[in-house]
Amino acid sequence: MDFITLGGNSLGTIPLGDIVLYLTPFNLFLFGILLLFTVMIAFSKPEIQTEASLGGLSNTEVKVTPKEFKQRRFLSVICGLASAGAMITGDLFNFTLFMAFVGILNIGIVSAVKQTSVLNSAFNYGLIAMMCSLPLFGGAAIVLASTGTLSLFELSQMTASPMVVFGILLMLLGIIGESGVAPFFASKAEMFRTPGSPFLVIIHLSSLFIIVRAVEILLLVLV
Amino acid sequence: MNLMIDILVNVIIAFLAGSLILGLHRKIMARVQLRPGPPIVQYLLHSLKFFFKESAIPRTASMPFYVGIVVILAVVWIIGVIVGPVSHGSLLILFGVYAIYKIVEHNAGSSSGSPYGKMSCVRAVLSAATELPLFAAIALIYFKTGTMNIGEIIAYQGAHGPLALSIPLAALMFFILILTKSPYSPFAITKAKELITGFETEHFGFLRGFLMFSESIAWYVMLWLFLTIFFGPLSAIWYVVGMIVITFITGFVNATTPLLNPNHSVMTQITIAGACFVGTLLMIFI
Repeated sequence: MDFITLGGNSLGTIPLGDIVLYLTPFNLFLFGILLLFTVMIAFSKPEIQTEASLGGLSNTEVKVTPKEFKQRRFLSVICGLASAGAMITGDLFNFTLFMAFVGILNIGIVSAVKQTSVLNSAFNYGLIAMMCSLPLFGGAAIVLASTGTLSLFELSQMTASPMVVFGILLMLLGIIGESGVAPFFASKAEMFRTPGSPFLVIIHLSSLFIIVRAVEILLLVLV
Repeated sequence: MNLMIDILVNVIIAFLAGSLILGLHRKIMARVQLRPGPPIVQYLLHSLKFFFKESAIPRTASMPFYVGIVVILAVVWIIGVIVGPVSHGSLLILFGVYAIYKIVEHNAGSSSGSPYGKMSCVRAVLSAATELPLFAAIALIYFKTGTMNIGEIIAYQGAHGPLALSIPLAALMFFILILTKSPYSPFAITKAKELITGFETEHFGFLRGFLMFSESIAWYVMLWLFLTIFFGPLSAIWYVVGMIVITFITGFVNATTPLLNPNHSVMTQITIAGACFVGTLLMIFI
């Protein structure tokens, strides 16, 4: 199925050999929103998280330290840019690379915090993400081996063979694990208990938008 | 110029109709529970009132996200109106709009520094993990009709009959999503009563006004989308009737069911989504 049917009218294409970068309102919308959030993250200060103290009536304020702030903001901005790249790429392998990059950055964004429960969750998510990188890249490799191209434009013109279907389903498994949607969300949700709202939002946003883009890619290749 | 007027008129209709339907929803729930309930117009009056109330920004808030996120919510649902009722564009863009809606639940909760908002934020991660698979019902529509364009889906139904009859399980998936977003839903874990009003708890004054404005439009767009992609083409009268009927059903369900705990809510939704997705694929391809 062609990308115009999925994402709306074509706003332009950039042919780079057999890799054709294409832009539709759908891609532009996702790309623009991610850039907007990335800019906001770059200029936001984190919140002060208020927590109840055990054994008393007072509150505890949990803050992001300046050193931690710099590291997490840098990784969040990179994560935003990587996610934005995944929204407009016209190449299946680039998409998987951006996906894996986002997975690593998600762990990095929370790796500087001190809460052990959060670090534990990030570790568990890291294990899932590592395991899922095999089907993610393996699926893309199978698609390349069976069709001779990774260009989404080219793939959308072909009829999906059983090997392509198998490769895409493997990729889907990898994307689900890397982005931490159900049933893998349990390993990721605890990561959000730490303060640093602007940094946490990009973890969530990148995962959701990559799922939305993955739906487009799956339909593009399979139908 | 005509397009701008069209957008403006549709946004106003979405806000007014959405507010009144949400008011009706409250009324229905109250009557089922043998309470008189507030007037139907109360939700609309509340939304307008908040724009003129004094606003306050918590000392602990993450700026500018705390303010910016509610403006983003309003903008994305206006985009939803443009893509849906105005231009009959791609369903995938509305999928993206819904994803941002989940992000706003997440960030509005966490940006205030409030523990209630924070808990709502964590739950938003859980709920997004299942609500997006429910929204993936649009992929089933694509398998059936071969298009993601709302206008073409309407035309397909004009020739072949409503999709609700040919892929009822996909319609059920989408209806569960609507039920999830309805006020006081058994699946509304981000706004559970133990969290006060969840991610909205620390947003006051005009910020709350923006949130209520956006929720009215969101509710209207979701109902419009459900009726359009599963029952279209419909006249304005049938849209009104359909929205009222759905509101009666969700109001009755929500008035008579307890709120599920997060784990039960997520597993119920994902089980329904999985069963309906596989069932619909079998119905389409076998």
